[in-house]
Amino acid sequence: MTEPAITLQTFFERARDGRLTAVRCRKCGELALPPRQFCPACGERAWEAVRLSGEGAIESFTVIRVAPRAHAADAPYAIAVVKLTEGVSLLGRIVDISLEKIAIGVPVRFRPLVRGSQTAVGFGPA
Amino acid sequence: MKNHKHGTLNPKAQFQKEITVEQVLKSAYVADPLKLLDCCPFSDGGAAVVLASEEVARTRTRPVWVLAAAAASDWMLLGDKRDLARVPATERAAAAAYRQAGLGPADVDVVELHDCFTIAEIVATEGLGLFEPGAGGRAAAEGRTSLGGAIPVNPSGGLKAKGHPIGATGAAQIAEIVTQLRGAAGPRQVADARVGLTHTLGGNTATVLVSLFGRD
Repeated sequence: MTEPAITLQTFFERARDGRLTAVRCRKCGELALPPRQFCPACGERAWEAVRLSGEGAIESFTVIRVAPRAHAADAPYAIAVVKLTEGVSLLGRIVDISLEKIAIGVPVRFRPLVRGSQTAVGFGPA
Repeated sequence: MKNHKHGTLNPKAQFQKEITVEQVLKSAYVADPLKLLDCCPFSDGGAAVVLASEEVARTRTRPVWVLAAAAASDWMLLGDKRDLARVPATERAAAAAYRQAGLGPADVDVVELHDCFTIAEIVATEGLGLFEPGAGGRAAAEGRTSLGGAIPVNPSGGLKAKGHPIGATGAAQIAEIVTQLRGAAGPRQVADARVGLTHTLGGNTATVLVSLFGRD
């Protein structure tokens, strides 16, 4: 599914609606997310938007016990690098999976974390 | 532990106290598996480097020469990194620095590197070519990077014990290497240090600088 190229702002607007969107380089085919100005593989700026399934598996993770001030009330919480089925990876917070069940390889699914006007990337059980 | 031990020999270090394995393991988690004593502090501190032309430097006693200065970059986002256990920017900057100086890892006598966390030192020693990927942890445990070992790393105590004054950290590393190459490091002196290396990074390992220094 191909859509017009998107900005970081529209990436989060779509994420807020539950749609995870990457960009694909029309020149070399590199897939990237979140969207960026230049293709890290070939340097071109010829992106097209690609809707992702939002499904993936935990590639690496940590449990934040001492959090930045803005998230202090949430600690402890886990963040993970999730490898999506399309092959790209994204950092996000793990929600609704107990900390002791989080492990490398556990399947997860994208979930927007909405707080006021802020949208963050989250992953919940697949 | 090794860097804290080195820190006891550095009167300018923030922490001049040895720590034990037990104390590290008993300290609270910050972010699994890193515990409080795996993390460097943020510190107040300053450092300065005086650069001069070769002509001027020759009029001074014991000048230290810049043999190489190389920078390399990498993707910043964790999700973009191809291998979480390696830092390509370190590997590329080190390769460029060795090429500039016509030297290799085996020629380096003393290293000051960016040990913001304990694992960062291990990964950096591998990226700098001092050890094969995956072999840095064992090398550190065997004392090969301690003062008196084959390739002393962070004789100043490093970020971990000397402290991490962020913007001043890179210059402080150079100050330590200059002190070592001048043979003026007192109880933490690396014997007959002729070639020194500094490694510093920023932005999630997206930017790495490696420099080599030598003496007459």
